[in-house]
Amino acid sequence: MSQFLSYFILVPLLGLLVSASANKRAEGLIAWTAMLTAGLNLVGILTLGIYWVLGGFKDYHFSGPVLYSSSDTTFAIDLFFDGTTAVFTFVGSLITLFDCIFSRYYIHREKGFKRYFNNIQLFYLGIMVILFAGNLEALFVGWEIIGITSFFLIAFYRERYLPVKNALKVVSFYRVADVFLLLGIWVCHHYFHHSIHFTDWQLAREQGTTIITEQPYIFLIPLIFLGVALVKSAQWPFSSWLPRAMEGPTSSSAIFYGSLSVHIGVFLLMRTYPLWDENWAFKALVIASGVLTSTIATFTARVQSSVKTQIGYSSIAQIGLMFIEVALGWQKLALLHFASNAFLRTYQLLVSPSVLSYLIHDQFFNFIPPQHNFANTFWGKLRMSVYVMSIKEWRMDSGMYQWFWKPLKWFGNKASVIGLKGALFIFVPLYLLGLYFVYHKGSLPEAATSYLPEIMAVAGLLLVLVAFVERTDARRAWALIVMNQLFVSLAVAFNEQFDFGQVHLFLSGIVISAVVGFLVLNYLVKQGESIDLDKFHGHSYEHAKLSVVFILMCLALAGFPITPTFIGEDLLLSHIHEDQIVLTVTTGLGFIVGGLAIFRIYGRIFLGPHEKGYHEVAYRSS
Amino acid sequence: MGNKASVFDEHKVLHDMAHYLPSQTPLKDFIHHNTLHAFQSMEFYPAIFKASKIFGYNVTFNVHEYRSLHKVGRIRDEILDMVIKKRKGTAEFNKWRDNCLAKQYTPSYDPRVGKLRANWKKHYHIDLDNLVQPLFFRILCSYLDQGIALWHFPYEDRGLLKAVREVEKNSFASFFRTKRVRQMLFDESLTIEKLMERVVGDARFFEQYLFDQQFSHRGWSGIVASIESNPHSILYQKKVHLEELIHLELLMEIDNLDAELGTDWLPMAKKVTGLEPVDLFADVPVSELQEVKMIWQDAFEWNYYDEVMAGVRLAKTLEPDEEVNLPRRRFQGVFCIDEREDSLRRHVELVEPNCETLGCPGFFGVEFYYHPANGKFYEKLCPAPVTPKYLIKEKEAKSHREKEIFHSKDSHRFFRGVISNLSLGLWSAFKLGIDLLRPKMSPAISDAFAHMNIDAELIIENTDPNQKENGLQIGFTVEEMANRVEGLLRGIGLVKDFAPLVYIVAHGSSSANNPHHGAHDCGACSGRPGSVNARVFAFMANHPKVREMLAARGLDIPYDTIFVGALHDTAADEMAFYDDKNLYPELAAEHIQNKEIFENALNLNAKERSRRFASIDTNQDIHKVREAIRRRSVSYFEPRPELGHGTNALCFIGHRSLTRRLFLDRRAFMNSYDYRTDPDGKLLLGVIRPIPPVCGGINLEYYFSRIDNQKLGAGTKLPHNVMGLIGVANSSDGDLRPGLPLQMIEPHDPVRLLVLVEHKPEVVLNTIQSEASLYEWFEKGWVHLVAINPYDNTFHYFENGRFTQYTPLNAQVPTSDDINDLIEKAPEMKTNYIVHATKENLPVHIIK
Repeated sequence: MSQFLSYFILVPLLGLLVSASANKRAEGLIAWTAMLTAGLNLVGILTLGIYWVLGGFKDYHFSGPVLYSSSDTTFAIDLFFDGTTAVFTFVGSLITLFDCIFSRYYIHREKGFKRYFNNIQLFYLGIMVILFAGNLEALFVGWEIIGITSFFLIAFYRERYLPVKNALKVVSFYRVADVFLLLGIWVCHHYFHHSIHFTDWQLAREQGTTIITEQPYIFLIPLIFLGVALVKSAQWPFSSWLPRAMEGPTSSSAIFYGSLSVHIGVFLLMRTYPLWDENWAFKALVIASGVLTSTIATFTARVQSSVKTQIGYSSIAQIGLMFIEVALGWQKLALLHFASNAFLRTYQLLVSPSVLSYLIHDQFFNFIPPQHNFANTFWGKLRMSVYVMSIKEWRMDSGMYQWFWKPLKWFGNKASVIGLKGALFIFVPLYLLGLYFVYHKGSLPEAATSYLPEIMAVAGLLLVLVAFVERTDARRAWALIVMNQLFVSLAVAFNEQFDFGQVHLFLSGIVISAVVGFLVLNYLVKQGESIDLDKFHGHSYEHAKLSVVFILMCLALAGFPITPTFIGEDLLLSHIHEDQIVLTVTTGLGFIVGGLAIFRIYGRIFLGPHEKGYHEVAYRSS
Repeated sequence: MGNKASVFDEHKVLHDMAHYLPSQTPLKDFIHHNTLHAFQSMEFYPAIFKASKIFGYNVTFNVHEYRSLHKVGRIRDEILDMVIKKRKGTAEFNKWRDNCLAKQYTPSYDPRVGKLRANWKKHYHIDLDNLVQPLFFRILCSYLDQGIALWHFPYEDRGLLKAVREVEKNSFASFFRTKRVRQMLFDESLTIEKLMERVVGDARFFEQYLFDQQFSHRGWSGIVASIESNPHSILYQKKVHLEELIHLELLMEIDNLDAELGTDWLPMAKKVTGLEPVDLFADVPVSELQEVKMIWQDAFEWNYYDEVMAGVRLAKTLEPDEEVNLPRRRFQGVFCIDEREDSLRRHVELVEPNCETLGCPGFFGVEFYYHPANGKFYEKLCPAPVTPKYLIKEKEAKSHREKEIFHSKDSHRFFRGVISNLSLGLWSAFKLGIDLLRPKMSPAISDAFAHMNIDAELIIENTDPNQKENGLQIGFTVEEMANRVEGLLRGIGLVKDFAPLVYIVAHGSSSANNPHHGAHDCGACSGRPGSVNARVFAFMANHPKVREMLAARGLDIPYDTIFVGALHDTAADEMAFYDDKNLYPELAAEHIQNKEIFENALNLNAKERSRRFASIDTNQDIHKVREAIRRRSVSYFEPRPELGHGTNALCFIGHRSLTRRLFLDRRAFMNSYDYRTDPDGKLLLGVIRPIPPVCGGINLEYYFSRIDNQKLGAGTKLPHNVMGLIGVANSSDGDLRPGLPLQMIEPHDPVRLLVLVEHKPEVVLNTIQSEASLYEWFEKGWVHLVAINPYDNTFHYFENGRFTQYTPLNAQVPTSDDINDLIEKAPEMKTNYIVHATKENLPVHIIK
């Protein structure tokens, strides 16, 4: 039966391929492919579920293809099926099926009909990979797919400003979570000394052994995963991205932010539960986070005057409660709660436009003017303060600007004094020097070698920071990002017992994407188009195909699982020693900022309002 | 300060601003109007190009699109030539023809509005809109909210600014980022002018700055201006003024500038050197490109107009000269003028040739407020500009309205949220499945028939004029009833040959998941179904004392003629009849047969409509088509329950014999009018007066929403988020989106309305000249006018203040024996790009 698990990945993959190669006007074919994909999987899940029940709830495990293998590491895609998978995949497939039936009519004749369904298919593939993942590596692949699909669906209406702005905002949250997940994998590698299979955890728990005992891992590992879950499930202090993600068609908001994507944090907590099931201090922390989030989110939902935002915050509040349930060990309740919340919010979002006529009618017959009795007492003032804070979403959105974007820009602007010449005259020699020493490690004193990785990584980070604030020429920003990748690989190469094959694996995807991406930008310049990064240009209006090529290059450069770079990225990290805190932090930051800078280039060049005067241009406030 | 104050006149600027802002009211009612009403005192083309220059609107197709329309034959050569000759004369004909067809033009996008405030980014490196707008919109929406939030804005009864002040006074937290600005909020001596002094620093720029600022979110500013001038447009009334809105926004701007830059930033006019004020409303010289666009747009319009007039010319020759000795008609049906009733009327006449259909504005001349039993408010049921003095009340509620648990607010609460979650959650999966596979009417769907219970008892007659409620007279006295019945019947020329049954057919529209449902209802009933009006009119016309009074005035309605009210659901294609239980037996039997006729006509109508819906196979069994059409109106997943007024282009004022033999593809408003009963045009003014504001308003709203769906329309419906029950926006931080959504305007060919009046040109001219506001519509070219002289069958086009004869160029008009065949073979658009979309609009056909 274990063999059968790959079916659940292959069906969506096939569906995606069919959908992607369909004619964009073949609405029937595209929609039916999507419905069939989810439908076939649903049947499969039900079948497997029956076998699973009959087989006495014994979990299934499938060792998938090994993508990379060497003496010390293997990178394999493993699959796994247990009760949690069963519930999540059943709910996920049913909602996807319903949503596809809904969208078949709803998206009809929309400019991006095919684009929409491609994304739904890609999303479905991603979510199946996450839910069926047997190890963290596989889970990470799905994670990345979901992240990028979110970006595409939020920016679905790419000719308007707000969707693009919010897509970049959300993807920056996601990027942070991605890198944290990568760090989680890295820490686990160091702790367990091998790739982690969820079955091992399951077994260990059944045998009553505690998995993590050592300090600081006992807190570090679960904390990292909690961080990832908090971002992905829009828990405090990351909640404000959720309402802003509802930019796409209502049906995509329903499936993503009402139901499936947003509950993945709960899934991750349940998956990693064996790592902390006896760690009561950590459990208390999760519970505290859940209480805090659901309180704040409930208050925020209470004051929301727009319907989708209100549903979003209510959903966040329920997810906070699920976190508590998981921490208390009430897994089954959490699963039930997940299923009901996912269905309810999907439905509420799908019918949210009807709220206008329904509530107006209700108001017509039942309106009672509200009383305004606010006592001028301490409690009265406190109540008022809660109101004000809830309107401001407890400063979560402005806080992100204040504490995340602004410092990044500040550092970037400080770093950009280096200038292009500086970059050429300092960083290129530095890099060449580094390259020389990597191949001649003996020629340097031990003390110097130990600092070189950090120096290289910091240099890389500086470069991406400059790229991040670049305003005038996208090609320059692009080059800086590429240089960062080179520096990162160099930094790690200083670590002993290093396999250059892995660096080459890492660089293989980067080199191609670097060159092609540069050529695309150059072509635009030759066509007389502006590629400054000071505003959005919306070039996908005229250069739709080019934009597809460029986003693929962006994904490759950012280490998305379409090139070997992705495996390289994971492997590279595994070569950072656990005591190299500075290197870890700078590399991680480099990945985050690099990713943001890449998406920023794509966004500014190809997305947003296209202002050429021969067609209508959307308002900036829309 | 002294002379600066004279430069900036706050009152005038605010007054002008309200004029230019969108005037759409909260979405519960939808009143169509000319989107560019602020420019209506100018000629059409100069007006739209000026609006374009100031606000960046797209106002015509681009040259490439017109050329593509020409290439596919949608603009014929001879029409283009005719227009060029007319506009440019023969001397420069070749040059202009070449300009139109081949010359390359470089368009530019450079609106005047927004330039001054762009300096925040350019010179201060601050994205002020991003910092201010999200919270600003949130505060505003929470303040105006009609019932989404569980927690109302505190002190919302005091006015926006006062409420914010009270909140700030009584809270530990603040909407503002800096203490200084929080203090400024409490300083009531601060005026907009003083705040502008701080922000801009030079009175010469104040007006421009305010326009920049408010037009960066014209949706929200527009709704505030519209609620300010019409407080009853929301049920839960809120005091709000544009002035307060600007005051608050300026404070928030200063707050964010302080927080980002410290308190010592210089006002814009002081910091940025070389700044010169721009006169936003300065005249715009006409460019060659614009002249080319005018030619093309004219040609696009005349291509259709010419076709229509050729059709009318030919159809007239097929009509018998005089209708003599016809048997008594089986029934008469008075429908709304609405162009969606064009096809139903045609099918009714096809199924039962011995009947007559007529058209008039769908409130049937009876204007009143309606008060359903247990309702807490009144509903206005007449055209928007009319203020009725009457009230029609429902005696007692016959049925109870059901609740929709999925819209219950419990799921947003804390403890009840958990319970509702766990209990409703799995049920919602079933519900969703059922809604997808077997959609049916539910309380959350707006139901045209629910507007008034079918067996509601209404108080219509007034016996004591002192019976009043809130200043409104309850019901109409006999004389008031007689006046209205007489007015309507004489207007539409129904003064003799009454059939035994006269149906008064109002219309409404059912749709699910549709915040714009009001835009599909009857425009003459303030965007509501007209069922009450139809019933009220039928009651009046059946009243024995009214009949007596009418007979005395020479309008004799036979004793055996009964009026019956009805409602046609234009989305579901269903009909309901009111008060038909008490017909005397003979008539009841007739009525049952007539209902069958209507049923068959509705089948055919559903079939005709289905050709534009890709999800319905038009050629399948007609009952299946009908069922599919009905199902659309209750499907949550269907963003196009119907296509509303899309494709409207014509308005006929005349006898049915003008149009009876024409297939007009649901593009014509039709108002019955008989020149023979009104030789001097005394009644004509009353008939024609509402046409430009109502039909012209609809037409121009569709025109502009079609041409610029981003700025003047609401964009695609799919991502819309309902804000405070008053409007829709994209995203949680977006501006309100007034105008029509993409799904309503796809098949629409943006052509101006052509009004065709059947009367002598001199009579028509006298009529339109007798009222300045009416005359303006025609004189400035916002609506076209043609007089069809019934005495010699000639066409006269109104232009430059006079009528000139026009002879249609089109010699051949296609003929069809079978409309169904035409419908079944009609092409379907590949995409909603104009060149594809326009193919769906069938040419005028003569029906054999």
